[in-house]
This record gives sequence, structure tokens and C-alpha cells, in this order.
Amino acid sequence: MSESSKDRSGAGASADAVTATDAARGARNQGASAHGRFELGRFLERWGVLVAFFLLLGASTWAEGFDFLSFENFRTMLNSNSAVGILAIGMTLVIVSSGIDLSVGSMVVLSAAFGVTAMNWVAERGQSELNSVLVAVAVMLLTGLFAGMLNGALVVVGRLAPFIATLGGLAAYRSIALAIAEAGEIRSSSATLFAKIGRSGIPLGWESGVDADGNLAYAGLLNAGGKPLTLTWAIIAFIAIAFIAQWFLSMSRFGRQLVAVGANETAARYAGVPVGWVRFRVYAIMGMLAGVAGAFVSARGNSVSTSGTGLNYELDAIAAVVIGGTSLRGGFGRVWGTVIGVLILAMMTNILTISKVSVYWQGAVKGAVIVLAVLVQRGRRA
Amino acid sequence: MGARSRKVARIRTEAAAGRPEIDRITDLSAGFAGVPVVFRTVTGVPQPNPPGRAAVPAPAGVAAASSGVLLAARGVTVEYPGVRALDNVSVEFRAGEIHAVVGENGAGKSTLMKVLSGLVRPTTGSVEVGGRRTQFTGPSDAIRAGVAMVHQELNLVPALDVAENVLLGREEVMAFGFAIRRGAQRARAKALLAMLGAEIDPARSAEDLSIAEAQFVEIAKCLASDARVLIFDEPTAVLGERETTRLLALFRRLRDEGRAIVFISHHLDEVVAVADRTTVLRDGKLVQEFARGVADEDALAAAMVGRELGSIYPEKGVAVADAAPAIELVGFGAASRSRGISLAVRPGEIVGLAGLVGSGRTETAEAIVGLRRSTGSLRVRGRDVRFSSPAAARAAGVAYVSEDRKGRGLHVTMSSVENMTMPSLDRYSRLGGITIDARSERATTDCWIRDFAIRCARPELPISSLSGGNQQKFALARWLEAGPRVLIVDEPTRGVDVGAKGEIYRIIADLARRGLACIVISSELPEVIGLSHRVIVLRGGEVAGELPRERLLREDCEERIVRLASGLSEEKERDA
Repeated sequence: MSESSKDRSGAGASADAVTATDAARGARNQGASAHGRFELGRFLERWGVLVAFFLLLGASTWAEGFDFLSFENFRTMLNSNSAVGILAIGMTLVIVSSGIDLSVGSMVVLSAAFGVTAMNWVAERGQSELNSVLVAVAVMLLTGLFAGMLNGALVVVGRLAPFIATLGGLAAYRSIALAIAEAGEIRSSSATLFAKIGRSGIPLGWESGVDADGNLAYAGLLNAGGKPLTLTWAIIAFIAIAFIAQWFLSMSRFGRQLVAVGANETAARYAGVPVGWVRFRVYAIMGMLAGVAGAFVSARGNSVSTSGTGLNYELDAIAAVVIGGTSLRGGFGRVWGTVIGVLILAMMTNILTISKVSVYWQGAVKGAVIVLAVLVQRGRRA
Repeated sequence: MGARSRKVARIRTEAAAGRPEIDRITDLSAGFAGVPVVFRTVTGVPQPNPPGRAAVPAPAGVAAASSGVLLAARGVTVEYPGVRALDNVSVEFRAGEIHAVVGENGAGKSTLMKVLSGLVRPTTGSVEVGGRRTQFTGPSDAIRAGVAMVHQELNLVPALDVAENVLLGREEVMAFGFAIRRGAQRARAKALLAMLGAEIDPARSAEDLSIAEAQFVEIAKCLASDARVLIFDEPTAVLGERETTRLLALFRRLRDEGRAIVFISHHLDEVVAVADRTTVLRDGKLVQEFARGVADEDALAAAMVGRELGSIYPEKGVAVADAAPAIELVGFGAASRSRGISLAVRPGEIVGLAGLVGSGRTETAEAIVGLRRSTGSLRVRGRDVRFSSPAAARAAGVAYVSEDRKGRGLHVTMSSVENMTMPSLDRYSRLGGITIDARSERATTDCWIRDFAIRCARPELPISSLSGGNQQKFALARWLEAGPRVLIVDEPTRGVDVGAKGEIYRIIADLARRGLACIVISSELPEVIGLSHRVIVLRGGEVAGELPRERLLREDCEERIVRLASGLSEEKERDA
């Protein structure tokens, strides 16, 4: 990439180099762009996140060997980051509307706590495991939805700045979860079924016969032990939600209006866009996605730690959005960038951990990468 | 370091003398009457003598050439992609002169001012300060050279008080900059403001100032920075009559102190009254320069337009006299901004809404379409309505095109297509909004581009890449696409070049002929008069008078509107 840019700028440095730079300066002066000319800054602004992704991929492979590129490794990374990923997708939509939701981590723990508590309550009353798990999932989604709707109402009806409204949620929602469990852990009463949501999925391999020792042999995507890899429900949900969200952002009326509200709320109001309704819906969607994330997180551990579950998820989610190139000013965003942002964060954690960098230092590296991402993609947008 | 120690020294002497700075200044100027008027205190603030004293151009500050030319543009050309905003313009601004720059919207006045104040670098040509070629790299360069600009949107820091704003960047500090000397600051700010004849308490917070007061503070700020050339971008546009008089008096006073005053104005009467020299720009070129008393308002207007006035206004269609009103306001008003407005517009009729800035025209229009709370009653096609939002108004066939194209009328970061279909997006939504019919969106956009002769090669690019006139056509078209029966256009040609202006007038006249009821709000009187079947004048949120069609044909109708708008007329009943 950097080579090709050198080539082209080299070609530009000919006899008319002076006038070319003058023209570029003139164009920059009034914020227009020089069409048709390759500019490294503009290229990075648009595709920087992909460049970073591949650089990191290369670096990781170089550091860890080709094992890093294995499907198993990626599956593991995706699986452990799918909850944050789902939150980051919702966060992309919120940020496009020039809002922010700081309460997502707390909504995750609140919905998980309510859901597991409800499940245990239903199970105690003699309901089957299936019924109690269904109740749990429904309660989680509804809790997230209602918490999100409350955020939305505070922003739209209460006219609070999104930062303030959700800062309140950040404190309050977790506090409620802590209170009902007295800051402890809520264990699920489901023996196996609930945990399956977090651990099972679609196997990517199949039986292919029996090997020489008389054990079953498999084909397809296998793990190091020769058993089929499982594409967990969490990963499937993450990918599906990403596709749906990208579709809605770029193809639907809601997405168009979201961009309009984020780019210029006043102009949107003057154009007859139902600004309040658009804003309310995006917070409600965010809440519901937090409920989904809560379900996967609690199912994976088959329990909820009210002090630890979902902690600092809002920061990771916002970081992924920012790395992905969505402008914190609103009015522009892309879900696919956020997905790559999640992968970049996951890969960084992975490589830092494998390289035995202390957990305490990992935060510093992450912070540097986030700031760098914004610097590179700044341009006219961020 | 040297400057600071001197400052400290001065502060000490002051403390020893035990009297406020302001006394010292008056003492000094009284003692030196007759000699160069601009004093430099140790900190470098010029202290002109009190009003009424004889004045001579001062040698201090900007080194004035023998001709007294403080600032000059030499063959300045500014090119933007596709547009030549300024074309080889040379002007000189002399000490002790008020120099007005006039021209139509898009003539290049603002660009010229931006070049002079260092905001825009000329493509070719140069700026001379005191006879020396200079290249400003930014406004701070210009300020250092003694050239200060008072922008139309004033740049005060609302959280600070008046004194802090006046002395922003040149604070009175204690030794080693430990703290700001509040008392000294306020005394100095007060002295500067008193020089301007403005009684503003320097301790007041800047956000409580009226626009006129803020402007005075802004001017005091320029004086504090030792500015010899003061540039004003449409300073009277936001002022009432009394404040305008005061400001013009101040211009004269500053001129008499040997400064050069440059101002842009659309009000030709002011220009004729106060300017010693008037430069007329048209389409980026300098057309003519008039010395004082050479040109009257008509001559200026003719030079600005360069052709017969009125020719750009299309023929008015015949209003359907007996048709029921498409929209009817009875005792209508925008909460706290206007009241008791009654008017009816029939299909095919264009009603002009004239009045000064702040007379409640825009607010009333916004109240009609539900952007503001309203009082009184509103009837659209015979039905009593009160819209809760522009979407509701659109559904009932009422559209409002905002005056503020960039901030409210359009989404400048979004594409032309997206802007085009924004108000009528529901019509392009498929499957309950899950998807938008991109092809029909594009087809509609292309259709309007053709109909309105919009210059827009790639509608998928951000609409900000278009010129003001083409943007305005989109702003109009997007609401017409929503199929209104009543169209309210607010300042339809603000920031639009002459050519597009004529086209927009034709479009509006055409729409009226096809049965649309139009309300045109405009501050440009020729526009209101040339376009409307009748004109209603608002003042202070109420109807001040109405000029029926016959009245608009009379010579003095413009004057009549001005009198009504500014409250000079006593013959309201007789004419209405």
C-alpha cells in the first residue's frame, strides 16, 4: 500500500509539481477534495482500518507463527469478543445519531441478572428447564429493551445530553444488579440447557469414518485435537446482527434518518424527519442488543457476576467503533468498520497475552492504538 | 521578557500614583492637543483623543505611505474550483477614510474582506500594508499588522465578561503572569468602550449582551489590538435603526482619528450617507469606484446590477381572485415572537412578507409549519389545523424552505440525492422502510436537475460541492417534490448569484401560475416588490401594513415599505 502511494506521488513530482501543490492547497483551503488524485491521507481516512487490520494480522503471524492464522484461533477470538462486538454494532448506530451510550456494560449485567434470577424463580416453581431458560432469555431481552427505552426517553423527552443520561444508567443499572445479588454471583439453576446457548452452535466438521485405532475420524474444520470446530451461537448472532445493522444503516429509511439526525439535527427537523422517534428507537435497539449480549455472556459462564460481568464493555465497544472509522460527531458511520475494529482489539489482546506482555501494560497499548486510529482517520470526519 | 518587565514597571508607577489609568489617559491627550492623536501607552494600546478634537492621520502603528494608504489589494484574484470569486481587484484603503464596498450577493465582497484580513490567500495578486507587500498566513498575522475584522457572526466568548473579551490575548497580568489584574482590566476595557461612546459595564457577562452591544465590544477588542484598519462585514444587518445611527457615528469618529474603516453594506442609504469612497463589485470584478458625493443610491444600484433593474423579475400571474384561500391566518402568531397576524393567500397568489431582521417573519413561518409553538388560528384549505411538525405540515400540503440553507435547509454533508428525497422519504421507502428505492430516488433527482437546470454532474456527491444557487434550487425542489399546495420560502435568493436569482424568481412565479399559494419572505425589497402580488410588512411581530398590487407599481413603494418596517409611518390606516 505504502509503495503504491510512493509510486504515484513520485509521478506527480514532475514539471507541474508546483502548480499541483498550489491547486491542492487551494482545494484544502475551502475544504473541497482534489478529485482523481491519490492522497495517502484520504486513502487512510477511508481504508485505514483495513490497513491496520492486515498489518496487525501480519505482525501476529510473524510473532506467533502460522498457528495464529488457524480457524481455531479466530473462532476463539471471535467467541470471546462476540458480546462486545454485538454492543459495538449497536453503539455504531447510536454514535451515527451523534449520541453515545455509556450504560451498555451495565445494561448487560442488569439484563443478565434479571434473566437468571427469573429463570431460577420459575424453575423453583416446578417449571421444566426448557421453560425456565425461555423465560430467562425473554426477560433478558425485555430488560435490555426497557433500559434502552428509558435511556431514549431521558434523551428525547427529558432533553438530557446522551452522555449524561447514559452516565446515569452506567451507575444505576449496575447498582440495581449489585443490590439484588448483594454484589455476589447469581448461579443459574439450569444444569445444561442454558449453558448450551453460550457454548454450542453449528459444528463445522462431520464424521468421516473410523481411523486405524477405531476412533471416530472427522473432516471439515477441526481443532487441534481433531474434533470439529463449533461456530457458536454467539458468533452467529454477532455476524448476523452485523449484516442486519449494516443493511439498516445504509439501505433503510431508519438508517437514512439516523444519518440525517446525526449530521445536523436541526436540518433534519426542518426536513420533517421525526427526530425524537429516530433517537428513541436507536437507544431502544441498543438496549435490546445489550440484552442479547447479556444472554450470551451469562450463558457462557452459566452464571452472572454482578460486579464483573459486562464491566468496561462500554469502553471496548466505543473503542471498536472509533477504530472502525465512525465519526464521534455523528452523521457518518459504518458497521463493517466496527466489526474490523472489534477484531483489531481482539487480536491485540491476543498477541499481547501470547507475547507475555503484562495485563497492566495492555491497557496502555490499547489506548495508544485507539488514539492513533482517530489521528489517522481524522480528516474531515472524526 | 522585556515587554513584561515594562508592563510591571508601569503597573508599579500607577500604584504609586494611586489613580486609575483612565484619568491618566485623558490628562495626556488634553495636554497634547493638536499633535498626533494616537498615543501609545507602554503596552502599545493606542489612545485616541476624546471625540470632537481635531484629528490628523497618525504616523504610528501601520507605517502610512505618503498617500495615507494603509491597506491595499493589488490585482487580487481568488479562484475556487470552477469559480473565480475575485478577478484582478485592486483597491486602496486610506487613513481617515470610510470606504464602503457594495455589490450583490456573490459579487465577491466577503471574499475580498477575507483576503484583506488574512482568512483567504489570493490565488494571484497581493495585499500591501503601509505600502509594503505582505502575505498573511492567517488572521493573527493581519491583526499584528494592524488590520482587524469584525465578523458578522460576532466572536465573543460567552463565558467571559466584557473586559476579559475586550482584552482577550492581551491581558493585564501581575508579575510573572501569576494572575489577571481584574481591576486594571476592567478600567482599561471601560476606557476603550467609553471612547466608542458605549456605556457597557465591563463586568457584565458577554452572553447577556444584545447584538448591538456585542458589536461595540468587538470593536473595542479591535482597538485594544492597535488596529489601524477596521473591516466590518455587514455590520448594520442585525442592528435596529437607533443602533445603526450610533454605529455610523462611531465610524466617523474612528475615521477622524486617522483609522481606515472598511465596511460592506446592503443598505445603500447608509453607504451614501457615511462613505467617503465606495467600491462597487460585480461578479468578482471591480466595476467602479466613487468618491463621496458622486453617486447616489440609484447610481450605486445601477453599477451593482449592471443592467436595468427589474428585468430579472418575471411577469406576475393573475391571482385567482374568487378562489378560496389556500392558507389563512387569523390572529396567528409565533409564541412570544409575533402576534395577531391575519392574512390569507389564495391559490396562484404570491404574498411578500417584508420587515426588518427580528420583525418575526421567519418565526411566524416556522410557527405555521410546527417548528415553533403558535397562537391564534390557522386554516389550510378551509380546515382548522395546528401542525406539530414539518412532517405534519407536509402531509397537509404546506412546505417551508428555510432561510438558513447550510444550517437548516440542507444536510451539507449528505448527497444531493439524499437531500432531495429527505422530506418525502416515505414515498421512496419500500417494505415498510426496510429499504429505499434508490432507482426512483435517482430518477426523481435527475428529473429536478433537468427541470431547474441545476448544475450537478454527480448527485451522489455531498451537496456542499454545489454552488449556492444550485443548492438553493435543490432546497426548493425537495419541498416541491413533496407536492405542497402552500409554499413558504424564506430568503429564496440569499447567497445566490445573479443568474440563479433570476431563475429562482421564474420558478416561483411559474409555480404560482400553476396554482400554488406562495409566501415569500425577503429582506431584499426589490425582490419582494418584483415578485409579489401584494406585500405585508411586519414590525415587532405585528402587521404594520399591507401594500396591495396597485401600490407596488408606484415609484415610492420601496420607501413606503421601509417606513412601515421601521415604524416611521403614521398613515397605516389610510393605505391598508
